[in-house]
Amino acid sequence: MWEFIARSLEASMIFTFAALGELIDQRSGVLNVGIEGVMLFGATLGFITAKTTGSYLLGFLVGMAIGGLLGFLHGFFSITLGGDQVVSGMGIWILGFGLTTYIGNPYTGPLELERIPTILGLSPFFYAGIALVVVSWFVLSRTSLGLEIRSVGEDPSVAEVSGINVPKTRYLCATIGGMLMGLSGAIYSLFYNPVWNYNFLMGWGFIALALVFFSMWNPVILLGGSLLFGTLWQLSLNPQLVLPGILSRYIWRTVPFVITIGVLLIISTGWFRTRWGAAKPEALARPYVKE
Amino acid sequence: MRIGSYQLRLEKRLTLTGWQAAIISTLAIIFALVLFSFIFILADINPLVAYRETFSYAFANPRGLPLTINRFIFLLLCTSAFIIPFRAGLWNIGMTGQLYAGALSAFAVLLAFGGKMLPPPDLSPITLIPLMLIAAALGGAVLGAMAGFLKGKFNVNEIVVTMMLNSITFWLVAYMIKEGGPFMNPGGRGESFELPSSAYAPLIMDIPFTIFLALGLVMLLYYMFAKTKIGYQIKAYGHSPAAARYAGINTFMIPLLVFILGGAVAGLAGYHYFAAVPGVYKIARNYGYFGDLAFYGIICGLISLGNSFAAIPVALLFGGLSIGGRFVQGKLNMGFGVDYALLGVLMITLVAFQFFYRYKLVLSVEGKGQRRRD
Amino acid sequence: MRARLPKEGASACIVNARKRDMEKGLLEGIKHGETVLEARGITKRFPGVVANDHIDFELRAGEIHAVLGENGAGKTTLMNILFGLWQPDEGEIYIGGKRVAFRSPLDAIDLGIGMVHQTRKLVSAHTAIENIILGHPKAGRILNLKRAEEEVKELCERYGFKIDLRAKVWQLSEGEKQAVEILKALYRGARILILDEPTSVLTPPETKKLLASIEAMARDKLAIIPFITHKLPIVLAISDRVTVLRHGKVAACLETGCVTEKSLAEKMVGREVIFRIERTKVEKGKPILQVENLSARNDKGFLALNGVSFSICEGEIFGIAGISGNGQHELAEVLAGLRKAEGGRVIFDGKDITHSSILERWQMGIGYIPCERVEVGSIGDFSLVENTAMNFYFDDHFCRRGIMDYRKIRGLTEEIVSEYGVVAPSPDTKARNLSGGNLQRLILARVLSRKPRLLIANLPTQGLDVGATEFVQNKLVEEKKAKAAILLISEDLEEILSLSDWVAPIYEGEFMDIVPGEKAKRETVGAMMAGLRPTPTEYPIPNTQYLDT
Repeated sequence: MWEFIARSLEASMIFTFAALGELIDQRSGVLNVGIEGVMLFGATLGFITAKTTGSYLLGFLVGMAIGGLLGFLHGFFSITLGGDQVVSGMGIWILGFGLTTYIGNPYTGPLELERIPTILGLSPFFYAGIALVVVSWFVLSRTSLGLEIRSVGEDPSVAEVSGINVPKTRYLCATIGGMLMGLSGAIYSLFYNPVWNYNFLMGWGFIALALVFFSMWNPVILLGGSLLFGTLWQLSLNPQLVLPGILSRYIWRTVPFVITIGVLLIISTGWFRTRWGAAKPEALARPYVKE
Repeated sequence: MRIGSYQLRLEKRLTLTGWQAAIISTLAIIFALVLFSFIFILADINPLVAYRETFSYAFANPRGLPLTINRFIFLLLCTSAFIIPFRAGLWNIGMTGQLYAGALSAFAVLLAFGGKMLPPPDLSPITLIPLMLIAAALGGAVLGAMAGFLKGKFNVNEIVVTMMLNSITFWLVAYMIKEGGPFMNPGGRGESFELPSSAYAPLIMDIPFTIFLALGLVMLLYYMFAKTKIGYQIKAYGHSPAAARYAGINTFMIPLLVFILGGAVAGLAGYHYFAAVPGVYKIARNYGYFGDLAFYGIICGLISLGNSFAAIPVALLFGGLSIGGRFVQGKLNMGFGVDYALLGVLMITLVAFQFFYRYKLVLSVEGKGQRRRD
Repeated sequence: MRARLPKEGASACIVNARKRDMEKGLLEGIKHGETVLEARGITKRFPGVVANDHIDFELRAGEIHAVLGENGAGKTTLMNILFGLWQPDEGEIYIGGKRVAFRSPLDAIDLGIGMVHQTRKLVSAHTAIENIILGHPKAGRILNLKRAEEEVKELCERYGFKIDLRAKVWQLSEGEKQAVEILKALYRGARILILDEPTSVLTPPETKKLLASIEAMARDKLAIIPFITHKLPIVLAISDRVTVLRHGKVAACLETGCVTEKSLAEKMVGREVIFRIERTKVEKGKPILQVENLSARNDKGFLALNGVSFSICEGEIFGIAGISGNGQHELAEVLAGLRKAEGGRVIFDGKDITHSSILERWQMGIGYIPCERVEVGSIGDFSLVENTAMNFYFDDHFCRRGIMDYRKIRGLTEEIVSEYGVVAPSPDTKARNLSGGNLQRLILARVLSRKPRLLIANLPTQGLDVGATEFVQNKLVEEKKAKAAILLISEDLEEILSLSDWVAPIYEGEFMDIVPGEKAKRETVGAMMAGLRPTPTEYPIPNTQYLDT
């Protein structure tokens, strides 16, 4: 039972990191639907690095670096080129999906390194994740940087006349967001499930995207959502804990995805919609063109 | 940007003709292929040799060409499935799930007619095949309808929904064909039971009849968008849902409709690959591979800017690249996933080139007027 | 493994970039009456027109110096140059006697010039205080909202602004939003304030408060430049001097004590000015629209329309006068079918259409000209032909058995384009390449070609130049003569008063009264628009003109 909880928390943290990255992106007005691609890259390159160098630290650093790079690239397409952000995000996803399948193939299989030690029985990322949530909440709501980010996401023209460099702020958020996504992918492949296989992320990036919508752009609610989903995922892998013997295990695997759809449905209903609409960054996914 | 007495500027486009779009798209593809040659170089292979092998196998080899054509049919169907919601401004990335659903429905019909029994019964293709087609279309349509309904009624993000449905259907297929599921092959190989030979799709010159389906659909779609009232309504909604609503267009019905149609077409793609391609005729163990191939449909749809006719040469090219790439991967001893990598590179190049659909490079010489490079 | 925190110096960099204390002292120690800003020979050319032609302008500390001019006289250009948005082709600007050049509005802000735009430049979702300190160098890395609040409260008291600083901007009234913007400029240290059309969206009581605050600021040695188009009484009431622009040049620079409304208007236009259009008399028919106790909510969920009742006969123009945000927009949308009614009934030609769909309403003969020309009334990426099709695709004549007859639609487009004077290279031009005036002509053409029996015109002349405005108004009168019933919503009181047979000032979702057109007086209607109820003896009992008992 403890094992189950620990694993759920690990999974939750991966969702948390990835979704937080996207939350920061979206708060500044940038929509990145290609979270999955960034995570795949972070996971694959991190895995390869760790496997070849034997160093976990390098693996994580590489994962973050490639994530930041991809975030920057997405920022380039969205901010400087002013293109359709959904197209760009899809591009990052398919690029990730396609390239990592090929690049990672020779490394299919287990990591074969000693497991990262746990602190008090929980993964170190659990603590890091909680800290990150607190820090993000603080920065966004209590610092002037946070105010600038939020203003850029709500109304870039107002931010501009107030003296804020809109593209710079957005690039900052896109890159940091990307780093967090890449990191989350590296955590997956180096800690949670250290066995490489093509498409081993199984749509987690999209679940993270749904989580951001669900959280109404609030880091604390995001944490709650991630915990819920992490648990659900683990449950779907181990249905025998709750309902032994009923339904094929394949059917159980579909549960998290069904619940995600359900969640999206709930937040679209009346009660949620006004709050959601009010919390949504007004300028989300709209490129800012200076007059 | 200045070089000597020349000046290079970026200007916003006022119009984009079909020719200009075609040229940009072609350039994008060529650029992607050039970029992709790095993958070959990294594997110690001469890219020119690799490409030559790819194209000759795909288009000139008697064994490769039929494979290319089959894949072309599949991709064309997937592209059409993507294009229909795309014209309405919506993203159908659920073609994977929809084609799985289509395949499952078709095989369900087969099961109902006793297709699983051994020895395989003699079935009448004239009744069976149309039924399978209809079932496949319905299966895909139902899946699509879910996404379309949620979008139309509740404005739920269709990207996440379709992606979730992909995963859900993936596992449903696994359930059906593995470990004692209803479709499982009696030999128990983790794949579905095989299609009885009497239910094989009729071939014309070794090509499944589905090619006519795919091409016919292209023409139908073109006509629909160019001439019909519903096509107009879809286009209007795609450009501006608010204005469409003002004009009296039913903004709940449009997303639902386009996803039903898109899903149906993707379902047919599922029928095609699992029931019409010679040599397959079952839901294979690696069915996930075909599901992933469906994403080529997205790239195709984007490159052709939603024009179904333009999709034909593009789908043919991508079909060839994918088949040839697989071949080259084996022959030149490269790692698995060459066609996946190609998919990725193509997509990102296309995203970058999207920029040129809106802006053009203008080359001007001091005092001599302008020459345009589109 | 430590989680990555946002880069340490990031916020400091962004904020420190604009600490330019060196230059801040230009306006320190200036005395009342001394010149603070001087512009000499400002010239700005655009392709085909000289927007500003050697303009001289002088501003003194403690002065309120209005700039007056019609649309196209060069006001906006001058304003943008003074604020640093644009660079003049010729001419110099002096502040406190020293020559300056603005590279961007940030330079102007640093030198003590603040600008308050006509359209609000505030983040609606944030609070007032958050908007005020946004981007301020003193904001500090960690927001100290309390200290900022105290400092801003002091400014509020000094100049008479009463705002809840913790309220979210979308909850504030127009007047309060404007105060927030002024406070924002003041908090950044502005000693010169440029106000763009400051009273255009204010109710009369709010205008009074604003003028009082402006006077308080002037007494405190600030200098204020209101840019005005046609609210001449405001100019007379508040300013010490007025500069009149005409065709890019300074037509006059006068002490306000020496001018009258009429003389100012003449200077603006250069000739005698007639203020009002003639109202046409048409014999009216039966009541075709009856609205009973209609209520509706706005996008935020509040009740914007609160039980209005009225009716319109064939051949009548029913004008709704009101400041934007009082429910008239929601009323138009409910009648057009774009918004659900919360309560009440709409009866058209005897039939209850409260729940009819938008398509049904078009087919019944109701036409709607929306105020959002670009987002709702047209589709930018569609050609003119395809835009025309928006109102005809459901007509049997143009679309048979699901197949569109584009040839016929094209023919219709060509007809209406020439009839309504839409300037475009061809019917295949995309709508987004049309100018505002031409787009409105197209929309008008398209809707009126259906010969609607009820026409709902929501802000039909907003943003149009004089020629286009005249055209639209004439078309409305033509429709009236053709026995259509017209509901006209406009923010231009002159327009309403001159065209309407009935005038209904709307305030907070209710009709203050329904006044016959001939008897409507500007002052009383204006007062009602601001929420002041009329004395009951003046007019007959409202809201019951033609309703069946």
